[in-house]
Amino acid sequence: MKLMNTPKSLELSVTNRCNLRCTYCSHFSGPGDVDHDLSTEEWLKFFEELGRCAVMNVTIQGGEAFIRKDLKELIAGIVRNRMRFSILSNGTLITDDIAAYIAGTGRCSHVQVSIDGSTAETHDACRGKGNFEKAVQGLEILRKHKIPAAVRTTIHRHNVNDLDNIAELLLEKLRLPGFSTNSASYMGLCREHAENVQLTAEDRSSAMATLLRLNRKYDNRISAAAGPLAEAKMWMKMEESRRERQKSLPPCGYLTSCGCMWSKIDIRADGVMIPCTQMSHIELGRINSDDLKSVWQNHPELKQMRERPNIPLEEFEFCKGCEYIPYCRGGCPALAYTLLGKETHPSPDSCLKRFLEQGGKLPDVL
Amino acid sequence: MENEKLIANPTIVLREEFDDWAVLFDPDTGNAYGMNPVSVFVWKHLDGNHALEDIEKKLRAECKNVPDDAGVFIKEFIADLVAKGLAGHKFQNA
Repeated sequence: MKLMNTPKSLELSVTNRCNLRCTYCSHFSGPGDVDHDLSTEEWLKFFEELGRCAVMNVTIQGGEAFIRKDLKELIAGIVRNRMRFSILSNGTLITDDIAAYIAGTGRCSHVQVSIDGSTAETHDACRGKGNFEKAVQGLEILRKHKIPAAVRTTIHRHNVNDLDNIAELLLEKLRLPGFSTNSASYMGLCREHAENVQLTAEDRSSAMATLLRLNRKYDNRISAAAGPLAEAKMWMKMEESRRERQKSLPPCGYLTSCGCMWSKIDIRADGVMIPCTQMSHIELGRINSDDLKSVWQNHPELKQMRERPNIPLEEFEFCKGCEYIPYCRGGCPALAYTLLGKETHPSPDSCLKRFLEQGGKLPDVL
Repeated sequence: MENEKLIANPTIVLREEFDDWAVLFDPDTGNAYGMNPVSVFVWKHLDGNHALEDIEKKLRAECKNVPDDAGVFIKEFIADLVAKGLAGHKFQNA
């Protein structure tokens, strides 16, 4: 695969501060979790470099992005340098004033708000009391200003049985075009609370079946790049391929997940360039000191990450004897790192064989 | 019209990729358009100093094996750019 001259998009952690401490948050335990923000001027200078590099999109995230008092100035810098932007938020700090400003730029692809429950009880179970009302209010403010509003539901132990009601709230009552899902992953604060928040194999099985059923009901308006819904689709395809004794599912059989390092790069709140927000320990350089294009094209760690697709799964002891190897992509490298301490390894969390050995069941819709 | 100088919309981003291909990105709409090397050559000459026929002459002077009907392609390409708001004709003072 040929490498782009410069990254097409970046994820920018403009702050590590957050007004919430969600128990499954993937932050607050890594090397980038510093207690101070870069100055406005440092970000604005970097945005000029992004403009010169013809970067197309940036995702503004945190911590909580709306906690920054200078968010308007940062957005203005992004717009001035001919980029579009998205914002990831818990929704609780969105005001009419900032929403009006965002809408006025005409450059916002979407603002994503986390809604984890159909009621305060389920949403606030991991996010803290009073935050359901605030998040829904934030969502309504975005919609009032006609800002494309996306919703992400993170599935965990406390809301896994609320998925029907969540879909009803988001798709019927709030009439959103759709929403996306993932699940609490073994990263950040979640590692401290894994027993209380992470899905068991039984929970995952239930969530997979429920989400597939809801997608039939709601015309595929629920999406996922990770978590039970994504796993259900991928694992069912793998099982189908195994049963039919297909030779392989290209580009499976190698560590081909994920492709992010071919198109994007991320920036920690302290200005350190990293391959992914979830792999904040791999420090590639520092903004305004190191040349982004050079880091992107030449950094040995990135080059090594981009070599992952050449590593056959059969080389790993972990995969020995697995019937799913020709249909498997190895899963998220960040999860492989948090679980095993190495990125160049299949992620145990993404392993269908392991899921089945733990008592997990694939939905019965083959 | 064909003698008017052409100018690119300054908001539009040219992302040059490998093998002289590129992407034109309109951040106001989010639309992106793939461009072959000839299109990239044309785009780079939409600087307010060149008219359509100037660009065709330059292309023939600087590139080998330019097809006879390249002028037609350039004309259609520029018309498409103008229709999409990606380029325009430079205002000339009387």
